Amino acid sequence: MSIVTDGVAKGAGVRKLGIVLGPVLGLVMFAAVVWVASRFVNEYEYKDAYRPPAASVDVTPRAAGEAAEAAEAEKQAKATPYAEAEYRTFPIVGSRVAIWAVAQLHLLFAAFVLAVPMFAFIIEVIGYKTKDVRYDRLAHEFTKLLSVSFSLTATFGAFLTFMLIILYPKFTNYLMSVFSPTFLPYVLLFFFEAFFLYTYYYGWGKFHPLVHLGLGLGLNLVGTSIMMIANAWLTFMMSPKGISDNGAVLSVWDAIVNPTWMPINVHRFIANIAFGGSVAGAYAAVKFLQATTDEERAHYDWMGYIGNFVAISAFLPLPFAGYWLAKEIYAFSQTLGLTMMGGAFSWLFIIQAVLIGNLFLAANYYLWLGMGRVEGVQPLQKFIKYLLFGITLCFMVWATPHSIIATVSEIRAMGGSSHPILGYLGVMSAKNTAVNILILTTFMSFLLYRRTGKIAAVAWAKTGHVVQLTIFAATAVFVIFLGVYGYFVETTVRIKLSVPQVLSVLTAMISITAIDVFLFRGAKKTGEVRWGRIPPISQYVLIFIAVTFTWLMGLMGYVRSGLRQHWHVYGVIRDRSVDAFTPTLGFATTVVSVTVLLFFLLIAFVFWITSLHDRPNYGGVRSEH
Amino acid sequence: MKIPIMLRIAVLVVATTGFYAYVGQMVPQKEVQPPAEIVLKSDLSQAEMAKVGREIMDGKGLCLTCHTIGKTTGPYRFPDLANVDVRAKTRKPGYTDVDYFAESLYEPNAFIVPGFNPGMPTINKPPIGLTDQEILCVIAYLQTLGGTTTVTLQTKHAFNGGPAPGAAAQPPAGAK
Repeated sequence: MSIVTDGVAKGAGVRKLGIVLGPVLGLVMFAAVVWVASRFVNEYEYKDAYRPPAASVDVTPRAAGEAAEAAEAEKQAKATPYAEAEYRTFPIVGSRVAIWAVAQLHLLFAAFVLAVPMFAFIIEVIGYKTKDVRYDRLAHEFTKLLSVSFSLTATFGAFLTFMLIILYPKFTNYLMSVFSPTFLPYVLLFFFEAFFLYTYYYGWGKFHPLVHLGLGLGLNLVGTSIMMIANAWLTFMMSPKGISDNGAVLSVWDAIVNPTWMPINVHRFIANIAFGGSVAGAYAAVKFLQATTDEERAHYDWMGYIGNFVAISAFLPLPFAGYWLAKEIYAFSQTLGLTMMGGAFSWLFIIQAVLIGNLFLAANYYLWLGMGRVEGVQPLQKFIKYLLFGITLCFMVWATPHSIIATVSEIRAMGGSSHPILGYLGVMSAKNTAVNILILTTFMSFLLYRRTGKIAAVAWAKTGHVVQLTIFAATAVFVIFLGVYGYFVETTVRIKLSVPQVLSVLTAMISITAIDVFLFRGAKKTGEVRWGRIPPISQYVLIFIAVTFTWLMGLMGYVRSGLRQHWHVYGVIRDRSVDAFTPTLGFATTVVSVTVLLFFLLIAFVFWITSLHDRPNYGGVRSEH
Repeated sequence: MKIPIMLRIAVLVVATTGFYAYVGQMVPQKEVQPPAEIVLKSDLSQAEMAKVGREIMDGKGLCLTCHTIGKTTGPYRFPDLANVDVRAKTRKPGYTDVDYFAESLYEPNAFIVPGFNPGMPTINKPPIGLTDQEILCVIAYLQTLGGTTTVTLQTKHAFNGGPAPGAAAQPPAGAK
């Protein structure tokens, strides 16, 4: 049989099959339609509610039994005396995770709302002093982000309060009784905050500049006071003072000014600025990437640069504030300090090192990309590879754990859980040295960026450069020397070495900056800054920095709170809930990640609402306001 | 195909967050439970006391968070406990090893080992809050480090109603 006739025969066969199966399929479909229609009619058509006639009330033994049970339950409920619940459970995720997420979101928005007015105020002051309207516009643009964020902060604050009352009623009641004199001033300050914030924002350009600056100052003072009151509550839980061994209040003032209160105030103040700067930088980055004109790109490039500059400037002294806080924690309780650095939370600081290392690398990378904006930058770019090498080396030292995850045979081969060589890098002598050099190197990146497109024209320029370089080199050598020296001295001496390390780096940063200011006074310009001429990847770096900062805040918030382990108030009020255990770091970082994603979802909402301000009105008319 | 900017940003945010969550899974995972209430039988043998003492030091007492046992090279944050019983017998004149251990646990700042900073918490008070019986078990274990256990759950020392250090060795007042 040929291929053609074979194909024809096959086609005829298929047709016959179709003739047979077609009606069968039709019948099946008809039956299906009838079935679906009848289901709809039976289930969804309106029917009068069934009401049985009074004479036919169910009197079966089952119904009678159920009625008796209900009556018995009601009787028992009435007989049970009222008892205050100690804990209640949140469905699915549990009370701790629920409180954790809400508190973290509240704190992230609060940090943002406190930070933006700080640098908006400083930028406005610069604008007022220099008479440069660009700064005034920039400050105004930053404050646009505030009003929606303020509402979200307050909403999450109320949410947190309700969650505490519902889930931890007894402990919340205790905390409120200790700090009862602080709550009404807190509410009053919140009113002032709202007054200053909205007057500051809506009054832009409506008052004399000094009056407007006064409103900005008031906003910052009130915001900082609110933060300090809230800090008293949470630091009291970590380092309680002013109470007896069984928790009775002896002095509210002592409870407020407990040992970690001021270090947390300073640490949060600085960290909030860094965080706020990074989120504002991310906002500018999003706007840059969406920009359609060179003017918009130039504006948002500048805004992103300022946001990042604020973030990194605040970030550089942050480790010093962190050391102070850690020192106070150790001074309050060695057990608490060692739980933090040597116990259950020690590996958390390796994760922190990864985050901070990434922040330093990303911040430097952004600066180096930014050098491309300036003409005639090539002579300085050759230094970048050395800076990159230094930063990478420090990052590696900082992220080296003291003990290593290893199998039993590997531990035997190493002669212990510490590596015979790398183990020496996992101790504080090495880590302190690494972080100080990291800060110094990033500072040098800033300095190089500052110099792009300029040549010092003062008579003592050469001497100035030599002195700056000598200070830098001497500080680096001194910091490394102290780090190595720490291996050869007793604990009592070694602990104190971090102080001269920190002081020498701070002194170097201040003195080099001071020299630089005079050195580049009246400097000769070699090229203009071309704002907006920066690769788009730089904007993704800004967003990466903001996400990393946010995640870092989430992680460090966890360690600050989790450090108390099974205590609500450390050493005084025991946590007896089902969540009293300390979870694994894997679990904690998952919660932090989910919270960070929620925050960015909400901050995208803030950015979107803020962007509505600049959109044309419905019908194509651009708003005048 | 051009990927929308907002999608790129969303992917970056999720990827960055995911990366840090991944780093969090890579470090050792340990769930720390609150210390369990320990019920001690009144007739524990000295060997059993030492065993319980070791468990307390590792858990509820948090001792091994700071102290090491048998670490041969520095740096040391707190004294290593290898052969500590040998040193405890001679550390303070008139003190037995039990007196010295008891003082170290109940009043840790009364004597600081040269070369170290004060920092040991009072062990019978919160947040650690060991009971007198649990502390005796810890002492029983410490005695095994270079010596032999002599304490029992009935042992008295200056901090649980017993005589002050050296008092037992001194002749009674008025005796010649």
